[in-house]
Amino acid sequence: MENPQHSQDVRIVRATSAFDCGGRCPLLLHVKDNKIIRIEGDDHPDSDRQLRTCLRCRAYRKYVHHPERLMHPQKRAGAKGEGKFERISWDEALSILSDKLKETKDKFGPESILLMTGGGYLASLHSGSMAAPRLLNQFGGYTTHYGNISSEGAVWASLVQYGSVMVGHSREDMLNSKLIILWGWDPARMISGSNTMHHLLKAKENGARVISVEPRYTDTAAAVADKWIPIYPGTDTAMMAAMAYVMITEDLHDQAFLDKYTIGFDKFKEYILGDEDGQAKTPQWAEAVCGVPAETIADLAREYAAAKPAALMDCQGPARSAMGEQYCRFAATLSAMTGNVGKPGGSACGGLMGIPIGHMFRMSAIPPGKNPVEMTGPKIKGTLDIRDRVIKRIHINKLWEAILEGKAGGFPADVKMAWSMCNNYLNQIGNANKGDKALKKLPFFAVNEIFMTAQARYADLLLPVTTAAERSDLTYAWPSGPYYTFVNRAIEPLGECKSDLEICEMLSDYLGVKDYRLGAKEDDILKHMVDQNPVTSKYVTDFDKFKNDGIHRIELKEPYIAFRKQIEDPENNPFDTPSGKIEIYSQRVADINSPKCPPVPKYIPTFEDRNDPLFEKYPLQLLTPHPRNRVHSEMYKVEWLREAEPHVLWIHPKDAEARGVSNGDDIQAFNDRGRVALKAFVTQRIKPGVVCMFEGAWYQPDENGIDRGACANTLTKDDYSGGGAAVMNTSLVQVAKA
Amino acid sequence: MQMGFYFDQTRCTGCNACRVACKDWNDVPEGPEAWMQVKYLEQGETPDVFVAYMIQTCFHCESPICAEACPAGAITKRPEDGIVLVDRNACLGKEECGAKCLKACPYDAPQFGPEPGAKMGKCVFCTDRLVQGKMPSCVEACYTRALDFGPLDELQKKYGQAVEAPNFKYSKRTKPSVIMNPKNPK
Repeated sequence: MENPQHSQDVRIVRATSAFDCGGRCPLLLHVKDNKIIRIEGDDHPDSDRQLRTCLRCRAYRKYVHHPERLMHPQKRAGAKGEGKFERISWDEALSILSDKLKETKDKFGPESILLMTGGGYLASLHSGSMAAPRLLNQFGGYTTHYGNISSEGAVWASLVQYGSVMVGHSREDMLNSKLIILWGWDPARMISGSNTMHHLLKAKENGARVISVEPRYTDTAAAVADKWIPIYPGTDTAMMAAMAYVMITEDLHDQAFLDKYTIGFDKFKEYILGDEDGQAKTPQWAEAVCGVPAETIADLAREYAAAKPAALMDCQGPARSAMGEQYCRFAATLSAMTGNVGKPGGSACGGLMGIPIGHMFRMSAIPPGKNPVEMTGPKIKGTLDIRDRVIKRIHINKLWEAILEGKAGGFPADVKMAWSMCNNYLNQIGNANKGDKALKKLPFFAVNEIFMTAQARYADLLLPVTTAAERSDLTYAWPSGPYYTFVNRAIEPLGECKSDLEICEMLSDYLGVKDYRLGAKEDDILKHMVDQNPVTSKYVTDFDKFKNDGIHRIELKEPYIAFRKQIEDPENNPFDTPSGKIEIYSQRVADINSPKCPPVPKYIPTFEDRNDPLFEKYPLQLLTPHPRNRVHSEMYKVEWLREAEPHVLWIHPKDAEARGVSNGDDIQAFNDRGRVALKAFVTQRIKPGVVCMFEGAWYQPDENGIDRGACANTLTKDDYSGGGAAVMNTSLVQVAKA
Repeated sequence: MQMGFYFDQTRCTGCNACRVACKDWNDVPEGPEAWMQVKYLEQGETPDVFVAYMIQTCFHCESPICAEACPAGAITKRPEDGIVLVDRNACLGKEECGAKCLKACPYDAPQFGPEPGAKMGKCVFCTDRLVQGKMPSCVEACYTRALDFGPLDELQKKYGQAVEAPNFKYSKRTKPSVIMNPKNPK
């Protein structure tokens, strides 16, 4: 068959995306006449080892070449949030932005400039999340936010328990497990490292028993689980406490392991047995809280304690809740009780699943320098006390309140202008309707963007940004490794688009900031970054080959196991905690002296749980997991992806019937924060009393304030836990037929 | 020789990478026309739920009933590898013949765009990739390795003889060229 696309002048460009997406997969971009016309995946000769990309990057060209891409600088031509703009030149755009920055700094001080960065572009060189802080630091300072929406609870828990965020195993290690407990983990949907689902399927085929504890019967569970244990959101710790109770009272726990490697188990045991608060954490007690039958809880405790090795796989979703970090601390404590930390086929828990080779946390970057505004603040490096972190910064899930209330509301600054890049926070942090008010009130808002996102509509000034296909850069294997990837520039920038770094370089001239420009060629800077990074330089010794191949794979002799050294040779390898041990009791946390931060992991009731008086009015708990067909809110406009999975609300037949709702009906979900309109997916795959909609659909309020785009965060609360977790899975709602 | 697909239903997570990869390689436009689709099956009650996905595509039947149904003779079966192809220039269009191929096919494989006079499109087994020694795009794209392809007799040797699976009925009349690893309720 004649195919016009198959011709001589097609170039193959090796690249990856730079989305914040859970994987990092090699792509072969077929390019003709400055257009990506087709995409192939990894061509590693061993097809089993190919790092195969998911549906999202299969549609990458439809994102890069989408007809709605922003192509020119624009300024607001209608009311704020109306989305009306007029085209201007780069010169005018940069003059407006530099004048606003200078004027705001002079009149109100640099702290009244809010810089909003994010994870929308995860690569070393062109990221605005590095380039803009560096520019504004040199300019005089700014106020910014603290914490990330995804993982703050898991990060805090891992730092408390282990003093390290590298708590993961190579994915191949799941093949060494006899029992795998998926506790709020759905790699079929959120990927969790390229090929992770492939290895989990292999583990299953290898004979591992798999149990899923989740409010939903996920696609991962449907593929691999022998058993699904539905549980109410926010109550994982009650069930985990009861599992600890069963292990302790039936003497199933590994006391020798606890004695050797941990501190504080006795204090934890006092809490579990009720010596501390008069309530023994029995399975019967837990059943009333979490909705899991007592016998099921006891059975799982016995099974987990007996299977060796066993991998309890916690993740970050349940940690995005009002006491979220307790879930990851509890999981890690159960893992220590069963002696599964640091062992092949086990799991350290902690929710982050990262290994230190190829990890995005160790990404090369241009050093941003110090922020003059933060010089006078408390020392925050390593602190577990979130209160110290929000003296000079704003918690990410409080941005809107900070803009609305300023210093009078206890926030560090009265924000007079904001500049945003690599994020769509109106859509992706809690309480979008409050965001609508805040962004309408904000005197000036500049946004670097690729699309007219929900948030970009509120801009006074819009600066068009290139996609990762239009620049070269270094990307990382998200948490999983072990490999490094290189993005080769596939096409020249479309329209008048620039990278965030290039925008900062141009703006530095207008601001009179000298010596900001890097002054070297892109590839030379990237080579320098590879050479200077202590991890990359160890592995990537031939830069040209790395660039040519687009990937450098690392052959490990055996799977990476978190804390293996600490377990096998504890004398010479203490944990990086004050005690040098796994801290089930943390004195550092005790010193915080806050009821939201117990020194041993605990189940603690929260706002908007099933005992909140609000439950009478809003009797359904809302979950907002990762979407499959977009990366958070990125790629939302790509039709190939939208048609692959319609945006729906999962609701159990019992709850649907009580509301006269049938599958496919138009419904509305609502609470005091907002109201969204979408269709019902009536399914047995969710626990009665729980509903679920995937995050990332774009906020689109109509004239009555009903969000027709059905953004999950129209319903979520703008608050955070004791460890700083955004509470995206702690919301009560009601559902009615539209 | 007869080319065929292997589908391991136990490995499919319903991700739709195959669907999108097919659209990409074959440049199928936005909209309902999709030469590879994924169907959904849910049975049982919480917490004993059974979920299975099933591919929906052209299975390049041994006796392609679509070809018999086509009034324009636009559908042919290649003798060398049994791949069923459509000549879009010869196709009369959806309204003109009333989509007889689609009505005849037990698997809804013939696809039409929403525009008036849309010509039939369907899986062509990525014949342009096969000549380059590559896998069909959907197979290459499947990150759970639920898909494979090859001569049907080789697939039978490798994977067995199973042709039935939940949400799929083997048509004895058309004889679809597919081997299944069925996922059955516990």
